[in-house]
Amino acid sequence: MVFLTLSCWIRNRGPDRFWKVQELLKHARHFRGRKNRCYKLALLAVRRAFVYATKGRKLKKRNMRTLWITRIAAATREHNMKYPILVHNLNKCSVQLNRRVISDIAITEPRTFLSLAKLARARQQEGFQAALGDGKEPPGVLSRVMLQ
Amino acid sequence: MTSRGTPSRFLKSVLQNGVGRYVCQLKRVSIIFSKRSPSALGVRDFIEEGVVDYANKNPGTVVYISPQTSSIPKVVAEYLNGNTKEELLTNKTSQQVLEVLTKLTDQSGQDIIRIRKPFHTDSPSIQGQWHPFTHRPPSVGLIRPQNQHGE
Amino acid sequence: MSSFSRSAQQWATFARSWFLIDARMQPPGKIATMCSVRLQGKHKPIYHALSDCGDHVVVLNTKHIAFSGNKWEQKVYSSHTGFPGGFKQVTAAQLHLKDPKAIVRLAVYGMLPRNLHRRTMMQRLHIFPEDELPDDIRANLTEELPQPREIPRKLSEYTQEEIDAFPRLWIPPEDYKMK
Repeated sequence: MVFLTLSCWIRNRGPDRFWKVQELLKHARHFRGRKNRCYKLALLAVRRAFVYATKGRKLKKRNMRTLWITRIAAATREHNMKYPILVHNLNKCSVQLNRRVISDIAITEPRTFLSLAKLARARQQEGFQAALGDGKEPPGVLSRVMLQ
Repeated sequence: MTSRGTPSRFLKSVLQNGVGRYVCQLKRVSIIFSKRSPSALGVRDFIEEGVVDYANKNPGTVVYISPQTSSIPKVVAEYLNGNTKEELLTNKTSQQVLEVLTKLTDQSGQDIIRIRKPFHTDSPSIQGQWHPFTHRPPSVGLIRPQNQHGE
Repeated sequence: MSSFSRSAQQWATFARSWFLIDARMQPPGKIATMCSVRLQGKHKPIYHALSDCGDHVVVLNTKHIAFSGNKWEQKVYSSHTGFPGGFKQVTAAQLHLKDPKAIVRLAVYGMLPRNLHRRTMMQRLHIFPEDELPDDIRANLTEELPQPREIPRKLSEYTQEEIDAFPRLWIPPEDYKMK
């Protein structure tokens, strides 16, 4: 009896390895250098890229928020206010816009942003008025406001 | 899956679909099956029961039924934007085949890839985008630093 | 919006302004803060670190900057040439005598982010030790920024009436000998 299959098994290393390599290189095709075609190098690079991608998903949220805050701060400075004052007073006015929307407004709808800044300014002045009271001191307190 | 390594696109609708009236984006659907194979049993059931109803319900879609010898049962959908999609129907019941067809009918035919932002607009600005002179008072004449200190 | 007006809008949004700052009697650190914000473009709501939206800044009168305290003598600028024994240390006064632009330039350079855009941003900083500006730069200017510090008046700038009217703590007697 002639057993022919064995020699085929020896020659045939199976289709799996080729596809395994392709499966990995698929993620490395846009890399620079030999990393995008050599399996051994691509293996390390892809693993590192996935680690960065995992970390980046968290970092992206943080970075975007800092970017929005920088932009809002820049837009607020144009109206002679500071970022914390704007955000705090808008919060007091219960304006429920998040930082992404406010920064988008500052870029695309500058006049709306101006009115937001005016609103915050008015709320700030109201707060100052309330803190000063109506010029009278609480009972038992004598201060310079009274003497004037 | 890295963000640079995967394809992505922005959110968009197909040529103002739904502004005037809704246009079904599925142009042509062909159901390919074998007359004998047991894996196409559900497809044959569907052709007996539901395909006429489906074609009646979707007058904008051409439905082809092509029995072929010894082939895997599948459905090939062609969309108005030129994309084609294939779905395998092996060992699916008549109900599942209808579900696959409904899904293909409801899709817009665009590639199903990562969408970069969940919102998009073609005209982002109504009041005109910010530029350096938006909030700056118009300058009066030239700026002359030399004359400031009365030299 | 048509594509034509859109491109014009794009040009307007990313237009570069030229700011003018007069550094006469100003602390260099405050001047440098204003400069670095504008060179990076952090005063615009469209700011992004990669979008190269910084503006030009022209600083005048850097010869007449004012340090507070005894920084002119005490502040030390150090550098190393790379050769053995090449460690150079000069005080602010010595450096200022040698190059009146250097103090402001080094202050701004230190406040910019440490990346590859730093040199590009520095190229958009134009420093002049005196009042004179070349005409091509003056033609570009769009806005003059207010000075961060109010310049105190010298005694010689007060008129005699103002000096007489100034409230005095103590009036010296007739025969008091002023040194």
